[in-house]
Amino acid sequence: MIKELILNMIYCFMATWFFALLMNSPKKVLFHSSLIAAIGYTSYLICINFGQVRLGFFFGTLIIVFLGELLARLIKMPATIFIFPAVIPMVPGLGLYQTMLAFVQENIFGALKIGVDTIVNIGAMAIAMTLMGLIASKIPIKTKKN
Amino acid sequence: MNVNKDELLKVVKLASQIILENGGETYRAEETIKFICKSLGVKEIDSVATPTGIYITLSIDGIENNTVVKRINKRSINLIRLNRVNTISRQITEKSISLQEAIALLEETRADAENYNKNFSLFYGGISAAFFTLLFGGKLLEFFISLTAGVLVALFAKKFENLHSYQFLSSLLAGTIIAFTAIAGTYIAGFGNYNYVIVGGMMPQLPGLAMTNAIRDTIRGDLVSGIARGTEALLVASSLAAGAGVIISFALYLGIIQN
Repeated sequence: MIKELILNMIYCFMATWFFALLMNSPKKVLFHSSLIAAIGYTSYLICINFGQVRLGFFFGTLIIVFLGELLARLIKMPATIFIFPAVIPMVPGLGLYQTMLAFVQENIFGALKIGVDTIVNIGAMAIAMTLMGLIASKIPIKTKKN
Repeated sequence: MNVNKDELLKVVKLASQIILENGGETYRAEETIKFICKSLGVKEIDSVATPTGIYITLSIDGIENNTVVKRINKRSINLIRLNRVNTISRQITEKSISLQEAIALLEETRADAENYNKNFSLFYGGISAAFFTLLFGGKLLEFFISLTAGVLVALFAKKFENLHSYQFLSSLLAGTIIAFTAIAGTYIAGFGNYNYVIVGGMMPQLPGLAMTNAIRDTIRGDLVSGIARGTEALLVASSLAAGAGVIISFALYLGIIQN
């Protein structure tokens, strides 16, 4: 299990790295956003191992947004630059695909079940982002004094 | 303090336009305008930003009102530009550059189309998709099929870049190409699982941020941009699914893949 976790971490890191390149992320922060993506995704996988899928989406996103806001204050760039590439591996693409597949196979009830589940998972991610954003907006960004 | 209203309007218009065109949140556009204007001592400032357009009204002396409206037609994601606008707006508030210099810098940011090597940028999406395939359980064969699919998608997406239904067409086509390459690749190889390739290939194309931003905007109270982003996400996701779905149903009908 540990070996699998580390392998997934590396895959997630590389996938985010090239995704960030695709989105024209500044070269300076490629490493940072890939790293927080890997950390967030690993905590999501750990939650799934305990059987808590929805909690995994919530905590994974929470950690990513927290680290993103922290880095934004350290490196003085908008937090979106870190958060956007980092949350992409968490987005339930598998759920969306399975919904579509079930529709194609004329399994309407299956499609609705997976579809609603996926939307709730996305909702869990959005709630985590909003909560962390609320907390972060209370901590002002210090600008350099000339 | 003397502020030229035409220059100020142009600065805030360009800044918010670049933010909205390159994947920034609507509240970020509104806040940037507010920060710039507050630092220059503008009396009244109000702006409404939606993903499809922005309206700004400002009054420097509190008597005369000036308004600018900008329609946002094309939306993509370019994080380096967001970062540059952020830097420029900070420089304006610190008064280290004048408004004229800011206009020049913003226009330069907007015109600067490619930030990385053009030939290599075709591969970024493919490599990213290939690693997502591994992440979802694919093996070496699926990795290379996914890489091919990603590069093909990037090649075709470039051809459609200037059409008006770009988002719909490119997603539909991306779904079709990914599913076709996945099924054809695994069929020719005789083994492998096409599902991993399709899921991995779709990941970089999915409107992941638009979906979460839609819910986040709605929670914040930005109802209009919440609905707009939600619709955009739904459009992209369903056209991707439709593109892949057509190929999968066809392959099921031909008996190339089993249920």
